[in-house]
Amino acid sequence: MLKQLDRADIDHLLDSLHTAYRLQIPQQLPDGTRHLSPYTPTSVLSLSGEIVHRKPTSFFFPQVQKLVSIDPTGHARDLQKVEKPLALFGLNRADLMGIQFLDRFFLAAPADDIYLSLRQDALLIGLTGFSGPDKSFLPLSTGNCDIELVALAGHWLALGHSTIGKKLLDPYARGLNSELEELRQRDENSSGDLELLQQASHLLMNDLVPDSFWAEIAGRCILCSGCNMVCPTCSCFCVQDRCFEETTERSRVWDSCQFDAFMREASGHNPLGTEALRTRRRIHHKLAADIERWGEPGCVACGRCDRSCPTGIGMMAVAGEIVKRYGAGRR
Amino acid sequence: MNTTLTTCPYCGTGCNFYLLHDDIGQLTGLEPAANHPVTRGQLCVKGWNAHAFVGHPDRLQTPLIRKNGQLQPTDWQTALDLLHDKLRTIATRQGPDSLMFLSSAKVSNEENYLLMKLARAGYGTNNIDHCARLCHSSTVTGLVETLGSGAMTNSLSCFAETDLIFVIGSNTTEQHPLIGSRILQAVQQGAQLIVADSRRIRLSQHADLHLRHQNGSDIALLNGMMRHISQEGLEDRTFITQRTENFSALQQALEPFTPEYVATITGLSSQQIMDAARLFAEADRAMIVYAMGITQHSHGVDNVRAVSNLALLTGNLGRPGTGINPLRGQNNVQGACDMGALPDVYTGYQRVADPQIREKFSAAWGVPLPETPGQMSTHAIEAAAAGKLCGMLVLGENPVVSDANQTLVYQAFEKLDFLAVIDIFMTETAQLADLVLPAACYAERDGTFTSTERRVQRGRKAVEPPGQARADWQIIAELLRRCGLKGDYTDPAEIMNEIASLTPSYGGIEYSRLEGEGLQWPCSDNTDPGTPILHTRTCTRGKGHFSPVTYRPPQEMPDLEFPLLLNTGRTAFHWHTGSMTRRSHLLDREERQAFVEINPTDAEKYQLAERQQLKVTSRRGSVSVRARLTERVPPGQVFIPFHFAESAANVLTNNALDPESGIPEFKVCAVRIEAC
Repeated sequence: MLKQLDRADIDHLLDSLHTAYRLQIPQQLPDGTRHLSPYTPTSVLSLSGEIVHRKPTSFFFPQVQKLVSIDPTGHARDLQKVEKPLALFGLNRADLMGIQFLDRFFLAAPADDIYLSLRQDALLIGLTGFSGPDKSFLPLSTGNCDIELVALAGHWLALGHSTIGKKLLDPYARGLNSELEELRQRDENSSGDLELLQQASHLLMNDLVPDSFWAEIAGRCILCSGCNMVCPTCSCFCVQDRCFEETTERSRVWDSCQFDAFMREASGHNPLGTEALRTRRRIHHKLAADIERWGEPGCVACGRCDRSCPTGIGMMAVAGEIVKRYGAGRR
Repeated sequence: MNTTLTTCPYCGTGCNFYLLHDDIGQLTGLEPAANHPVTRGQLCVKGWNAHAFVGHPDRLQTPLIRKNGQLQPTDWQTALDLLHDKLRTIATRQGPDSLMFLSSAKVSNEENYLLMKLARAGYGTNNIDHCARLCHSSTVTGLVETLGSGAMTNSLSCFAETDLIFVIGSNTTEQHPLIGSRILQAVQQGAQLIVADSRRIRLSQHADLHLRHQNGSDIALLNGMMRHISQEGLEDRTFITQRTENFSALQQALEPFTPEYVATITGLSSQQIMDAARLFAEADRAMIVYAMGITQHSHGVDNVRAVSNLALLTGNLGRPGTGINPLRGQNNVQGACDMGALPDVYTGYQRVADPQIREKFSAAWGVPLPETPGQMSTHAIEAAAAGKLCGMLVLGENPVVSDANQTLVYQAFEKLDFLAVIDIFMTETAQLADLVLPAACYAERDGTFTSTERRVQRGRKAVEPPGQARADWQIIAELLRRCGLKGDYTDPAEIMNEIASLTPSYGGIEYSRLEGEGLQWPCSDNTDPGTPILHTRTCTRGKGHFSPVTYRPPQEMPDLEFPLLLNTGRTAFHWHTGSMTRRSHLLDREERQAFVEINPTDAEKYQLAERQQLKVTSRRGSVSVRARLTERVPPGQVFIPFHFAESAANVLTNNALDPESGIPEFKVCAVRIEAC
């Protein structure tokens, strides 16, 4: 049943969640960076603005994640137990798609137990509608969260997409279906970015983008690896072992396909041995290989790589360039 | 996940990020600050990995004293008492100037200030210096003479307001990546780009003109450009008349530098020199960007003078989108200089030799102060090797790997009666020490850092230091206390208040004002918003001074016995002597061992193959490195990064020093190469 929350109801909902969950809500860090930070009763909740800067998938798959700890006798020690499950509040459609994408990767049998331990009881709360920068419109989710709050002018429609989500919304007043329908109509017309990705994808899959293009884009890459670090669907990691006096720790660390060593073999041979090949892979993987494998692109159009790229060659910029140069408009 | 905003520990760009840490105090990653004016939500590869070395198992955790030839754990009280006793005894018996203090561009302003105070007021010597001696000492000497201030004249925001950028001797996309990206963005927006660099660096792919001049021929190139600008009447007459002095001397000095003569020295064509001159002079707003390719020469100061002359000749000073922009390499090398961790100046470049200044500091610190300026670090190494120094305290530096001519550096440290090192890892220098003290790293202490654009910013403590490691300011304060000086500082903010009270250019710097974007000095009082651009109406010294220079070749050029020119520097993935980046998993994996870049033409000539292990030999020693065949270096030149202690490029380099700045000639020496 559709519900409706006012501002006080949201505070009430958050307050009720934070006893059972490690609740993270969008807040402004000191320089204005919008970030999912731990909820406290005095937290200042940010209910609209840019997409949160740190990708929410990092809560389940952080930059550095301990996998196993071994004591001097060779026995594995238990890792720190997760005391309470996570609840992430304020996820937009792209972020929910990113989590869904990563779930498929890590939870396909056999499931990655570290990821599973953090993800299995986690609560996802979407925030869509008029909750973008300057309260601009953000498209509704595809239902891949527990609760979705859809921002309107002075109140929020609330949808319970899961059993627990519906239960949590029980106490609140009923919402107007007509308001939701109006937004859904609007929703269908707001997918320009995804359309651009589809066009670029089509060109890539039909091999219409020449090697010289990749050499040119690679020439502008300063090898920061930021595009991979911020991407919510990037799942590549490398393994780091560290021997301390009392323990040996194995962790996984976010990796980047833009590094020469990412695929360099012990012999020195590298199947992706040039920057042009690696740049091509970055785009091709998301817009062609993922489609072949999963039936959908690996880019959820969250915009983070475009924002973090120091030289303007993030996914949307490159897709735009591909379509401009090699797409239908060119002919 | 907890967040702590702090300043990046690597280069001098001054990026800010949030360290992310969990409830048990371990770092789990970092996130760039989205709205910071420099960072803008972006970082370079070292920035993205700046958390990685912090919790490394190799971190030093307890003080260590050498007993029976071995470094053995001890307690802080014993270690500090011994350190003070040794330094005091040497100062008393052999004289204060038998001591040398090496400060660090990796520690905070407050820590540099305290160490400078300790050397001068505590042990009575001006023998204090730090690694700016190896990077921008030429800049400070040259630009203080011509402009009155050795700092970068403009701000990073100026890259969005310029018509032309002239990059000479800076591999900006690798060494200051977020500045390099601003240059690439400017080019995308239509700015023109001239790159003068013998190597085919990434920026050169985007340049309107790439000048691959012979290493060490910068003065010839710059003088040649200036002569042609004058000949064509493209100089800024109004600026020269109103804002400068000594122009006629410059004109005279330029006369011999015809395009044809310059072509013979630089290896460029006459046309390239004339094209560069015209392109540069015709831009309304042009920025000159330089780094170690200009400064690290036996004529480094003259190189800087020539750069300054070019800016003055064309009126590219004191306006947005112009300026002389020496890029500082370390995150606090600007601050370490500002704090007077130099042998001839106190904070804010106030001269030791000036009796009134000396009296001011003497009154503030309550002790008489030594009058004679101290020794430069490079001279101190020579003095130690000659048995003329007795004790040294090294704070966060690794001269064994970073200084030119490693054999000499080893000799120097071996001859010392006493060597103490404060560091976060057991560096190659610390391994030689009699006493090693474990320090907190950037993520474990508070303080301020001053970036290349003179932006004073906060570094903030996110996690606890390992074991017994302590913040450098706490360690130095203990020594100050033992010297009978004020040592009971409660926090770095209190130290900054003392700095501000003694330093006109930092007069308005206080912690409460640094919570936002920081402040760019000069900042004279607490109402001063700071200074994004220097020399706007007049230069700091008054008139801009033309300081004519003439070309002289590097001290050691290739010959029959050593036929190749060796150039040294850094890679994108490693930092200096590698103590941090080689302990950062991804960075270490990317470049795991030393290599030498060789042009394929030379490889063919000397019958060398890709990935072959080679012996590279100069007059000072040999190292073993792996061959990397690449067009990046021109024929006749090879390049070796200096990060790798086991194949240290500085075994080979020449400690020929600039007579004024004391900087070694890291960029030119002669080598031969053979198969191992």
